[in-house]
Parts: sequence; C-alpha cells; structure tokens
Amino acid sequence: MPPAGIPPSRALPSKESGLFKEVLHYYEDRQLKKGLKTADVILKKFPNHGETLCMKGLILTHLGRRDEGLDFVKQGVRLDLTSHICWHVFGLIQKGQKNYEEALKSYTQALRFDKENMNILRDAAHLQTQLRQYDHLVETRHTLLRLRPQLRQNWIALAVAYHLSGNLTEAKAVLEQYERIIKNVPDYDVEFSEILLYHVRVLEDLGDYTEAIALLDASAKERTIIDRVAIMEFRARILSKAGKDEAKQAWQGLIEQNPDCYDYYKGFLSSRGIDIDAVTDENRSKAVQSLHDFSEQFSKASAPRRLALDIALGDEFKGLLEPFLRTRLEKGVPSLFADLKSLYRSPEKREIIEQTATSILSTLAHPSTDPAPSETDPTEYIWTLYFLAQHHSWLGRHKQALELLDEAITHTPTLPELYMFKARVLKRAGDPFGAAKCMDLARTLDLQDRFLNTKCGKYRLRAGLIEEAVEVFGLFTKKDAPSPSQDLEDMQSLGYLTEEADAHLRNGNLAMALKKYDAIFKVFDIFEDDQFDFHGYSVRKFTINIYLNLIQWEDKLRSHPAYVHSAIEASRILVKVHDEPSIAAKSNGESHLSSAEKKAKKKAKKAEKKVQEEAKKASNAGNEDKGLEVTPPKDEDPDGTKSLQAPDPLERAAKVLKPLATQAKDNVEAWIAIYDVAIRRKKYLQAIHALNSAHSLDADSPELHIRVVDFKRRWSSLEEKPSEAVVTAASAAITKLLPDEVSLEVFNSQYLQQHSSRADAILAAAKVSRLLGAPRDEVEASVFNVLNAEVDLKLETALASVAFLNEIQSPRADEFREAARGKFELSTLFLSADELAAARKAVIQKDPVAEALEEKAEVIS
Amino acid sequence: MSSRLSPSRVSFASVTPNNLGTVRKLNSVLFPIKYSEKFYNDIVQPQVEDFCQLIYYNDIPIGTMCCRIEAKDGEAKLYLMTLAVLAPYRSRGIGSQSLQHLIDAAAAHTKPKINAIYLHVQVSNGDAKRFYERHGFKEVGLYENYYKKITPHDAWILQRDIEPSKGAEG
Repeated sequence: MPPAGIPPSRALPSKESGLFKEVLHYYEDRQLKKGLKTADVILKKFPNHGETLCMKGLILTHLGRRDEGLDFVKQGVRLDLTSHICWHVFGLIQKGQKNYEEALKSYTQALRFDKENMNILRDAAHLQTQLRQYDHLVETRHTLLRLRPQLRQNWIALAVAYHLSGNLTEAKAVLEQYERIIKNVPDYDVEFSEILLYHVRVLEDLGDYTEAIALLDASAKERTIIDRVAIMEFRARILSKAGKDEAKQAWQGLIEQNPDCYDYYKGFLSSRGIDIDAVTDENRSKAVQSLHDFSEQFSKASAPRRLALDIALGDEFKGLLEPFLRTRLEKGVPSLFADLKSLYRSPEKREIIEQTATSILSTLAHPSTDPAPSETDPTEYIWTLYFLAQHHSWLGRHKQALELLDEAITHTPTLPELYMFKARVLKRAGDPFGAAKCMDLARTLDLQDRFLNTKCGKYRLRAGLIEEAVEVFGLFTKKDAPSPSQDLEDMQSLGYLTEEADAHLRNGNLAMALKKYDAIFKVFDIFEDDQFDFHGYSVRKFTINIYLNLIQWEDKLRSHPAYVHSAIEASRILVKVHDEPSIAAKSNGESHLSSAEKKAKKKAKKAEKKVQEEAKKASNAGNEDKGLEVTPPKDEDPDGTKSLQAPDPLERAAKVLKPLATQAKDNVEAWIAIYDVAIRRKKYLQAIHALNSAHSLDADSPELHIRVVDFKRRWSSLEEKPSEAVVTAASAAITKLLPDEVSLEVFNSQYLQQHSSRADAILAAAKVSRLLGAPRDEVEASVFNVLNAEVDLKLETALASVAFLNEIQSPRADEFREAARGKFELSTLFLSADELAAARKAVIQKDPVAEALEEKAEVIS
Repeated sequence: MSSRLSPSRVSFASVTPNNLGTVRKLNSVLFPIKYSEKFYNDIVQPQVEDFCQLIYYNDIPIGTMCCRIEAKDGEAKLYLMTLAVLAPYRSRGIGSQSLQHLIDAAAAHTKPKINAIYLHVQVSNGDAKRFYERHGFKEVGLYENYYKKITPHDAWILQRDIEPSKGAEG
C-alpha cells in the first residue's frame, strides 16, 4: 500500500523505491552512467513511472543527448502532473535553455506540490529576479526567511527583494531587524561591512540623511565598516545632499587623498553652491579661484587645472590655457587634443586654443634638415604639430591638417601617431583607401602594438577589404580558434562585429551584414543571461552594493550604442527584404560569390568539421557532464543567406527594435526605423507614435519628412480599414503633422523652401517628389541643387545623392559624381567604378615602408 | 620596452622583427644607401641584439646603430655598419651617448669576447671622422673604391680597441 497522499501511479514497490533514491543520489554525485542504468532498471518494470522518466531525461541531457532527454522529461511530466520532482526537472531543463518564463512556470507548479522545498524556492527567486517579477520575489524571499531564519543570507536577500520592488522602507526595516539579532561578528568582517554600507545607501536613498550619517559615523568609529574610501565618499556625498557645512571639509579630505578625481572637485564646488556644469557669471570667479587654490596645493594634479579651463572665460581662460598646453606639449601627451575637445563647444575657446597653439608652434619651428636650436626640444615641436593637425581636422580643414602632418613626418618619420592621425584625416576627407594604406604604414613601424594592428584592421574594413582586415586581426587572435572572426566574436568584440557588419553592408552583401548584426544581438542576449548567476552569488557573498549597480546596468543594457546601431541597420535590411524579397533570393547560389567569399565558405566548412569531430570525440567520452546549458550550435549559415531568407523579416525587425522605444527614445533614427517596420506590419498607432516621437525630437528631420508623406499615402489608399477607434486616433494625429487641406506636393515644396540651404533636406524633398510621381528629369534637377554654392554639402549627403540617382537609374548620375569629385578634392569615393577598384587594390602593399621609399643608388648587402 | 637611462632622455631598445619597420624607415631617410634583405635579416639575430639598437629620444625612435660580429682566428671584432640620428636631433650628444652605450656593451660582452670596433667613413665626411676620433677611434687604413656609385668612392677605416670591463672576464 502506498503511503497516504501519493497517487498509485507514482508509488513504487520498496525495491524500486530504493532504486529511485539511488538514481537521485547518482545524479547528485554526477555519476551519470550509473544513474542512467539504475533508472532503466526501474523503467523496465514500470515504463510509465513519470518521476523516473524525468530523471532519465535529466541525466541524458547532462550527457549531451539533449533532444532525447527533453522527450523523456516531457513524457514524464505528462504521466505525473502532480509530482514536484517532475516539474522541478522540467524547470531545470527550461532554465538550461534560457527559457526563463517557462522555467518559472514549471517551478511554480513544483511549488504547488512541495511548498517548502528550499532548492526550488531559491531557484524560483533567481528566476523571478531575472524576469523582474519583484513582487513575487518578495513573497518567495519571505518564505525562505520564514523557513530558515538562521541563515544570514536569507535576511539580506529579503531586504534586496524589497529594495528591487521599490519598497525601501521595508528594506530598511529588514536590515534593522537583522542587525539587532546578528551576533558574534568577527572584527574587520568584510561581509558585515558591506551590509552596513548597503544600509547607509538605503537610508540615503530614502532621504534620511541624518540617520544615514549617524550610522556611517558610528560604524566608522567601531571599525565595522572597513572600506575607508567608501566611508569618505559616502560621507561627503550624503553631507552634500543634506546641505551640511561639513560637506566642504569632507570633499576637501577626498581631494587630498586623490587630487585627480573630477567628481571630488565637483562635490567640493557643489558644497560651495556651485554647479560645475552650470556655472553662472556670479559664481564663476569663485569657482576658478577655488580650482586655482587646489592647483597651487597640488602642483602635479591635472584635474583642477583642466576643470578651470571648463569654467574660465576670455583672458582668464587664455592665461590658464597657455601653461596647460605648454607643459603637456613639452611632456608629449598624445591625448592632449582628446582632453581639450570638449572645450570646442565654445567658439571663443576654440579660437583662443588655435591662437595659443599656433603661437607656441612659431616659437618652436625649425627646419627638419638641421639640428634643432639647442633651447628648443624637437619632440615638443612634433607634438605641437600633431595637436594643431588634430585641431584643424576637427574643424574640417583637412588640407591644413595634412600639411602640418607632412611637415611633422618629414621631421620625425618614426612616430606612429603621426601616420595614424594622417590616416584619420584622409578617412574624414573621404579617402578610405589612402587612410587604410597610411594606417598600414603605422602598423609596420611597430608590429607588436595591438592597438595599431586593430586600427589597421578597422581601416581596411572601412575600405571594404574584409578578408584582408581579418588577416591582420588574425595576427593577434588565438591561434587555435576556428578563425580570427570566430575568436573575436567569442571575445564579444562589439567594435569588430559592428565594423565588419557595416563593411558588408557598404559592399552590398546584405546577408553577411545581417549575420554579423545578429551576432551582436546574441552578445547582448548573453550579457543579459550572464546576470543570472549573480542573483544567487551576490547575496551569498553579501556584495550588495555592486550587485544593485549591475541590475541597474542590465536594465538599460540595450541602450548601448552598438546595440542601437545594429538594431537600426538590421531592421533596414529586413525591411528591404520585405519590400523586395528577390534580394534575399539573389544572394543565394554560389555563382555570385567572390573568391574571397568562397574561401571563407570553405574555411567555415573546415571549422565545422573540426567542431563535429570534437563533439564526436566528446560524446564517446562517457560519463562526462555537459551541464544543462545549451552549447551554441555549429555555424550552419556561413554566408548568412539562410538568415536573410528566413521567414517573417518584419517580425524579426520588430523584435530587435522593440527595446529602442525605451532605451533609445532620444534617437530620431531609431524612431524612423520603428516607423518603417510598424507601418508595414499595419501597426498604425505604433507608426504614428514613432512619427510623433521623431517629430518632437527634430521636427525638421529630412527622414521624418519622407515618412510623413509615406504615411499619408499609405493611409489614404488602405484597402482594409482598421477599427473605428484606430482610424479616429490616427487621423487626428496625422493631421497635426500634415494638415488635411495641404496637398502632398505643396507640403513637399513648403518643406524644401524652409530648408533650401540644407543638402539633406533638398535630397529628401527630391525623394518625396519621386514618390509622388514627378518625372525623372525634374527629380534629377532637384538633386543637383545640393551642389549649389550656398548649400552646405556633407560627404554623406553627397554619397547618398549618388546612391539615389543610381537607384532611379538617372542618366546624369555620372555627371553628379564628377561634380562631387570636384567638391571633395581629397575624397576617393566619387571615383568611377574602375578607378575605385584600382584604388582599393592599391591599399594592400607587401611592405608599406619600402614602397614609400625612393630608389637609392648605392646598395649594401 | 626601452631601458631608460635616467635622467637622460635618451634610451635604447634592441632591434627585433617587430620594430624592423622603424629601422627601415630610419635608414631610408638617414643614408643614401639601400640596405638589402640580408642586412635586415642579420640585425635581428639574437647574438647581435646588444649591438643592433634603436635610439630613442623622449620615447620616440630617432636613430639606429647596427653592428655585425666578425670572428677571425679566435678574435672577434665588431663592425659598425650604421650609426645615425635624425637631423633635428643632432648636436645634443645623442650620438656620443649611443656610441658610448655600444662601447660599454662591447666591453661587457663575453661570448665571444670583443677586441675592437671598426667602421668605414666616406673620405668626404670629416665631421664623422672627428666624431669617432673623439671617442677613441683611430684611422688604421684607407679602403679605396669602397663605394661603387656615390662619390667620393674611398673610405677611411677607423678602429678602437676594447678593454673588457670588470666582471666580463672569462
């Protein structure tokens, strides 16, 4: 007879029941083979025993036989729907697949049948944190604390749960209770110190400044908080927030500890009533004086001197700038310009910097053919030339920058920075090929410098030389990786992935571009998954403060520029595929592949084979535990065509764009991308919302202008009308952007009139008139207006104009290209197709140094 | 990477395959001579690393010196193939420091023991000759038609004996 409460289908005779316990033991000890054998013994007699089936499935999964394992687990659950073991196992498997939502459901089921299972409760808490279900998290943590109040971490975990759910008052109450009951804390205990600091932080966030300071001071005195720097920083910050006079002293103390920390000065000034980011004319001189005093006190500190440059104006600025520049140019600080760049927001300061640096240069100038005058330092001269070149290039004066750099290179031809920056100037001026060549030269000067190497690879990507770029990257990647690209992807190098994706896109290879953008999305998914382990670990280790920062960071993870950029570009590709499915079909078929792509394919195949062989080897290894997490499958889409041809491009685009609505809400481009997808998915309200959001950010945006017309056209020619409510809402909203009584043609010409000196607006208006059916020669003529003298034409707009003319198969495309070529003298982007190919080919040189040399008569062997 | 001689702003680093590009660049502007691949291959060999050096000023490479070891009848001599500093960096004692660095390295060398350093100077280059003489070199001969294509064709042979430094015996 089975014990009461156990369903007959689950009950086993005592022999098998003993065996089942053995299975559990074997599993816990990771004796997987034995566990599997024992489970099979039970199943021979009781093939429908759900819990055993689940355990077998679990063990199989650990052995790497995932699909088979999953089938057993599912079968087991179905056969015994009220077993907490079955549900727990199912939850474990789902968690391994990173399917947190489903896993939590299974855990919730398991808890229905075993309410006080510590393991299940703990796992459920982690899942609830991962899924940000904070109210449920509080409940779970409560249960855990009730079951095991003697475990210290359960108290902290509950406080954190309250904190995350936004209930700081309760978090505070839990911490107070905890501190009252805890006994026998050893001296200098890091864990307790962390908890007290956390407690102070909670009080600070609650605005209980007096209490926070009291706790901090008491704990500092008793030496229970042992992080001295943290004590000082917390103290200064909280005193400042409380508006106390002692704040000044507290910040002063911190500055004495580290006179190069900007935040300390910021805090110090704020305690004197000065907001460093919004200095007024009333307190300006007071602020400069303070910083001056600190500069006197700390003769080696850079921070107070640099901050003073932010604040000072006019002659005072000039007086401070000159010694600042001098000392750094003498020392040779390569990052000097980067440090000062933020000052360029002020045209006045920009002008003063130019004057000062130019006059310094004139005191140093000497011909490169003779010894420098003994009182000047030749390297100071070089660094001044370098600084001024950066200055002019930043202001778009590429020629001047190049002149200065060439002078510097003739003087000292061995400083890689000079070639690197020359490459950058060429890149900015629209010569990606010359730039890549120059960067290669810099690399050759010091082959062991990974920074130079990476830059060189990046510039090759910019020049469209993808295979050659990967070759250079490969000089520094792991030698045993399947390929340099794979290694860089595994290392989650977002810089590389983004650049390569963009390069494919520029080369017109949408499939590979999409593949690389997908790889970036995967990296972010991994970032998101990575926090999971910390939900348990950080509480166990009492590292709460840093853990809460992590959670905050994860919550805005996808505001990262690499994600935002990739999501927008990928969505554009997917929209293109949706509009013109033949694009995806075209990239199929080997005949189109260049030799480089074929090579890459072959390589990928080889790597795949290697992976398979290794997997085979591993699966024969027997008892080895592979864990529950799904290992990444082999690359079955080496050239990206499968991804490009995958169904539902719009749904995929919508998915990657989704985070942008909250994480990139200040980005016009993001809203345009969201619109483009929403309108095609017939999500009219979402589309309108995107247009409105873009409008409130930049009402004059040329891309927005195109979309407003696009919406109106689509809206008025709808075949099936959406619901009444949608129609009313959408109509009302669109009227605000484009009044009903204004025809689209008039709307377009009004826009053009308002922005007649903006090249991107002229191009947008031309695109719209094309959309409205204007004849081609008329559209062409309006595009040519971007070339007018009074129009400020940027390189990107000129390129976009060429692309548009090609798109409408304009017979005047070449004429435009030639005209643009004249406007951008240094640029190679407006060369004819043949010339372009030649320029690209010329980038790769066998020996960049040697080929730059003139022939020499005398040869010494 | 470079062993700075504090408080001097001059420092040295061995020529390696990784910084060979810098040496090529310097040679190309410093000498009216094209050096062969064999030359570049020889100067990165481990046995000459003390004698093939890049010269840095404020951490920027501004000169090179390269020697080869010539062993004959159990005696070893250093032949100084190149020693030069970029024009703007001359007249501040960098060449002297470099030559002294080389002489010290030669004196400290044991396997093989170095007995002398010698070199060729084009007979039109009196400045160079005086420079070496200030550092203990003496004219020991004239090599006629040393240069094939540049004039004058002849070169002086200058040599300095090396006394082993203490601790370098055996």
